[in-house]
Amino acid sequence: MGDFIIQDCTLLTKTSGMFAAINLRELRDRLVTCRQDVLYHHFCETPLVPSFDNPDYHNDFAAWALLQLGDRVLAERLGIINPYIFYDLEKLREQVLDILDERLSEGLFATSCQPGGEFFFTEAVTVVFDTGLRITSPEKLPEAIGRMTNGSIYFHFLEARRRPPVGLDDFSVWLSGFPSHEAWCSALQTVDFVFYSLADLREELVRVLEKGGAS
Amino acid sequence: MTRFLSSYEGVVSANVISQLRQLGSRLAGRRVVHVNSTREGGGVAEILDWMVPLMRDVGLDAQWEVIEGNSEFYSVTKKFHNGLQGFPVTISSREWQTYREVNEVNAARLRPVLEEADFVVIHDPQPAALLGLCPNRKGKWIWRGHIDISRPTRSVWRGLRPFVTGYDASIFSMCQFAQPLPHPQFLIPPSIDPLSPKNMDLDPEELTSVRNQYNLDPGKPLLVQISRFDRFKDPLGVLAAYRLVQKVQPVQLVLAGGGATDDPEGQEVLDEVLEAAAGDPDIHVLLLPADAHRTINALQRLADIAIQKSTREGFGLTVTEGLWKGKPVIGGDTGGIRLQVVNYHTGFLVNTPEGAAHRIRFLLHHEALRSKMGIRAREFVREHFLLTRQLREYLTLFHILSSQENSSTIYI
Repeated sequence: MGDFIIQDCTLLTKTSGMFAAINLRELRDRLVTCRQDVLYHHFCETPLVPSFDNPDYHNDFAAWALLQLGDRVLAERLGIINPYIFYDLEKLREQVLDILDERLSEGLFATSCQPGGEFFFTEAVTVVFDTGLRITSPEKLPEAIGRMTNGSIYFHFLEARRRPPVGLDDFSVWLSGFPSHEAWCSALQTVDFVFYSLADLREELVRVLEKGGAS
Repeated sequence: MTRFLSSYEGVVSANVISQLRQLGSRLAGRRVVHVNSTREGGGVAEILDWMVPLMRDVGLDAQWEVIEGNSEFYSVTKKFHNGLQGFPVTISSREWQTYREVNEVNAARLRPVLEEADFVVIHDPQPAALLGLCPNRKGKWIWRGHIDISRPTRSVWRGLRPFVTGYDASIFSMCQFAQPLPHPQFLIPPSIDPLSPKNMDLDPEELTSVRNQYNLDPGKPLLVQISRFDRFKDPLGVLAAYRLVQKVQPVQLVLAGGGATDDPEGQEVLDEVLEAAAGDPDIHVLLLPADAHRTINALQRLADIAIQKSTREGFGLTVTEGLWKGKPVIGGDTGGIRLQVVNYHTGFLVNTPEGAAHRIRFLLHHEALRSKMGIRAREFVREHFLLTRQLREYLTLFHILSSQENSSTIYI
């Protein structure tokens, strides 16, 4: 197995050109036609965006339903969606639309947000670069993770799940080439990453690996 | 003050610094010119004061140019400022002419530098017309709008838009501020310099000295709003909130701000505030010189609660400064304050003097929560609103604009 190549990434958000939504129906209609990049951004790229991590809901749609529409039911339904299990973003779109349609069918949910509370559809451009750093053996992985930037953590542990082999983080894929470290692979897959900021996730990954030990 | 990235390793982690150097090394030698309208006073000058040296430190050939104008020009651009933030103003054809003429004079002086640059960043409307006056430009031009133009006076935006549409990209602090333009619009919130005189740690003796200098009572809770004397900062609303609180408990208020050379309206607002505050020894209205950064720093650190009750706000750097000093902030529910102030976590958003008074009383009553929110506020700023993040995003933008790829992921 070769060295682990540490990549880093930075992200810059931009407007999507879409009109903002002021109520649930408008949100639904915009989501039908928005680019996949928009959907992906609001579900998956939020950890890299400079804003307060909403402690209750980790995708922008759920947070908006709660904070701007005051719709707790919808926020709960949207908030539990794990975007990383949808390898095809169109399936994710279907799931979200299904939830919104269900909510709309339940009654009078035409409530509009206050001025200034609109949902703005944004997307991002990610710049990826090779740091020049390499991890030469699994034993050095925890220490290396501890020194990684938030961008590296995002790229290797979250964004990786969308790249082949889909659903797996880069660390696990690399460790799978070392049968003696199978326990670490398993340990990494127990991390419920949704509830961590990237800084906290870095600490958690180190903790899990150090606790898991090599078999 | 010359700044070096290595100085910030004690504030952010070494890997954050390393990442910036990696991004910068791939842009080494590229020429960047920032242009704005004032060397001191206001958030933009403060940002450029650190950004330019740090861009140099990571390898870019960066410089900062300031356009020169007369009082008539600044009166017009102040009208732009107010009009773009929704205040009804009318700009005459003579005033538009003044705007163009001053930009022409500046273009004649700056043209060689601007046309040769790889990246030109034009800050705010004042120098926006320079683009059309540099026909042989080689690089990418970016218009950086720092203010909230979500609901502009249409005639002002209609007049200004033609000067902006030709840029290769624009930057806004929040998506809410962006207006439809025929180029990519990137979102980069501003940030603060944790080592600047305004934000660096201060000795307790210095805090005591400032407290004594302004006759502040150490026995009374202190509310502080730091901002220019500008109607959108709602200093009269803060006074009203203070009076509501004072009915139930002793409290003192500092309204302090500096002037800016491009803000002729400040004195008028200051006079209104002084009149409203007259006769109350617990209200301290301070017009501070532009270089009173350490005094502002000390006042924010002495505060029990920081206030920024703006009715319109670009981003609200004074909010960031207050949070960085571990103070919960009571902020107007507008603009970039919403990005920073989260109810029960870093402060409270309010819409009225009554709302501000209620939250002031709440925070004064819950001392432990106030302390906990202050700790969270500081870490929140460390993660998202220090200059290292903003520098990273500018470098990222330069990479994006340099790339031939039209993709959501760019490998460099």
